[in-house]
Amino acid sequence: MRSVSDLLRYAGLLALAALVLAFPQLAPDAFILSVGVVIMSYAVLATSWNFVGGFTGYISLGHAAYSGLGGYATALLITRTGMNPWLALVAGAVLVALLAIPIGIASLRVRGASFVIVSIALVLITLLVFQSWGALTGGSNGLRVPRPFGEGVLRPEQHERFFYLHAALLALALLCWWIIDRSRFGAGLKAIREDEDKAQSLGVPTFAYKLVVFVISALFTALGGGLYALWFGFLDPVFQFSILAGSYLVLMSLLGGIRSLFGPLLGAVVVGYAVEFFKNQYGDTQLHLVALGVLLAVVVLFMPEGVIPALSGQLRKLRPRATSIREVSQAELAAQRTPEEATR
Amino acid sequence: MTGSLLLQSLVLGVLLGGLYALLAAGLTLYFGVMRVVMLAHSAFLILAAYLAWWFHQRTGLDPLLSLLVTVPLFFALGVGLQRLLISRLRPATMTMMSVLLTFSLALIVEGVLGLVFSGTHRRIQLPYSGSDLVVLGASIPVVKLIAFTLAAIALSGLYALLKFTRFGWALRATIQHREAAQLVGINTDRTAGLGFGLGLATAAVGGTALALDSTIYPSLHWHWIGPLMAIIVVGGLGSVGGAAIAAMVLGLGQSLLQLPLGTTWAQTLFYVALFATLMLQPRGLFGGRLAQRF
Repeated sequence: MRSVSDLLRYAGLLALAALVLAFPQLAPDAFILSVGVVIMSYAVLATSWNFVGGFTGYISLGHAAYSGLGGYATALLITRTGMNPWLALVAGAVLVALLAIPIGIASLRVRGASFVIVSIALVLITLLVFQSWGALTGGSNGLRVPRPFGEGVLRPEQHERFFYLHAALLALALLCWWIIDRSRFGAGLKAIREDEDKAQSLGVPTFAYKLVVFVISALFTALGGGLYALWFGFLDPVFQFSILAGSYLVLMSLLGGIRSLFGPLLGAVVVGYAVEFFKNQYGDTQLHLVALGVLLAVVVLFMPEGVIPALSGQLRKLRPRATSIREVSQAELAAQRTPEEATR
Repeated sequence: MTGSLLLQSLVLGVLLGGLYALLAAGLTLYFGVMRVVMLAHSAFLILAAYLAWWFHQRTGLDPLLSLLVTVPLFFALGVGLQRLLISRLRPATMTMMSVLLTFSLALIVEGVLGLVFSGTHRRIQLPYSGSDLVVLGASIPVVKLIAFTLAAIALSGLYALLKFTRFGWALRATIQHREAAQLVGINTDRTAGLGFGLGLATAAVGGTALALDSTIYPSLHWHWIGPLMAIIVVGGLGSVGGAAIAAMVLGLGQSLLQLPLGTTWAQTLFYVALFATLMLQPRGLFGGRLAQRF
């Protein structure tokens, strides 16, 4: 039984990888390919978000701050110091991770609601700084990011290369999540999610664990933001440091399921496609906000565990029922009985 | 010259602080009765501002009269929201999920405002819009004074309600200790619903006060979320008095910092105060042990 499900799992994984690798060849035109890059970028960011959200249960609405900082750090390192773009990407992400240490120390001291408030404040303050500090960041005029592949590479080729680059980064993030998930470190983090006080009393160094995973999350988010900046070629504070962008990541992860490895990826495909569709169709109206709001409310109210756990719950119902008396209460048995049986 | 400028900043700071205190009072009520961080509060604020503008536009009457409709309407809306949506969330994940739920409400309100009223900037033009009151060389806009008076009336009304009525006692008991309140026979679910309605009613007053002297547009609520959230964290989550004091201090500080720094950088005061509070005293100025855990 176990080997069959394992086999299915490997087959699914292979199919997923094949689908991702083949996508640029399957895409009919450059626009669809660019949508693919955007969705991949969302997938990277949502998976990065899920290091904190999934393991510790701390919901951050402000991860756009790290992706935005990653993008700006990459762009500024290239334009100001003439650094190699790929080196700048990594160096920028490391800088953001270093910056995340004091932010994490301040914000992880509080739980729940206060943590969310701090994450929102972080986006708002970065937006304020990057808009006001025009001399360095270009302010509201935006910042052009030089193309890493030179002018010789045409647009569709550029999309294709960045699609694979994003896919590689996604694979790295997923692998890292998977390793943590199976480690003692991951067990400690999940203990924090279930009951932080109990975890602490059992000897889990909760603060250090939270901080480490927070910095890892910031690092991957900054890498994602930097890679996106290199692809898109233009940064504007309003779009980089937006609570809306941060909330997309939360919605994607929640929708797919924050406790599963591929949950955020699934959420990114669904929500990312919906977002691009809405922007394309109703770009001028505010309808996309209403749609996003309703979708988020539905997910929070009806499937806070996400789609993957909800679906597997449905699947479990189809399997043969457990016969042990301990798993079914007397009341449930009574409810299952048909009226004829009851009267007999 | 600088003396009167300083005086003017002080007076404007107090007026601003009063408005902030009114808006933050609603947030502490939600948090007190339900452990809910209501991110949609400022969106409802803008909604009330739009309703005041629309009322003025249609009837030509003073926008303050719209309060007769918006306050009961928002109260009923708040009770409904709490009973139908927020009370459905699981207690274990209440705090986190309520943040997301109210965030989605904020998006829906913003989106609907954009659809109905478009993104165009709107402003109410009143006969007394441009007039100033000159006190000791400091000129104070009349509309700001009216907004402050409105805030003062609403806050005193709220204080009297909480202090002298049976409902107020029940609400405060629910905030202090839910189980104990249930033991002495208070219907805490009903009280929580009414408390939520009361919080949203303060948004109706605050939004109307805001509409008097600022240009409004659907996405304006993002500008308010940060300062208001900073105020309730600095004051200590759930403490009405703490929020009022923090609102006054930060409002004054913002107004005074505008002289040397300009309006944009003065805004950062809220975030500096927020991070400093978390580093030095995570539970805020007046929050109990509870504040740190939510």
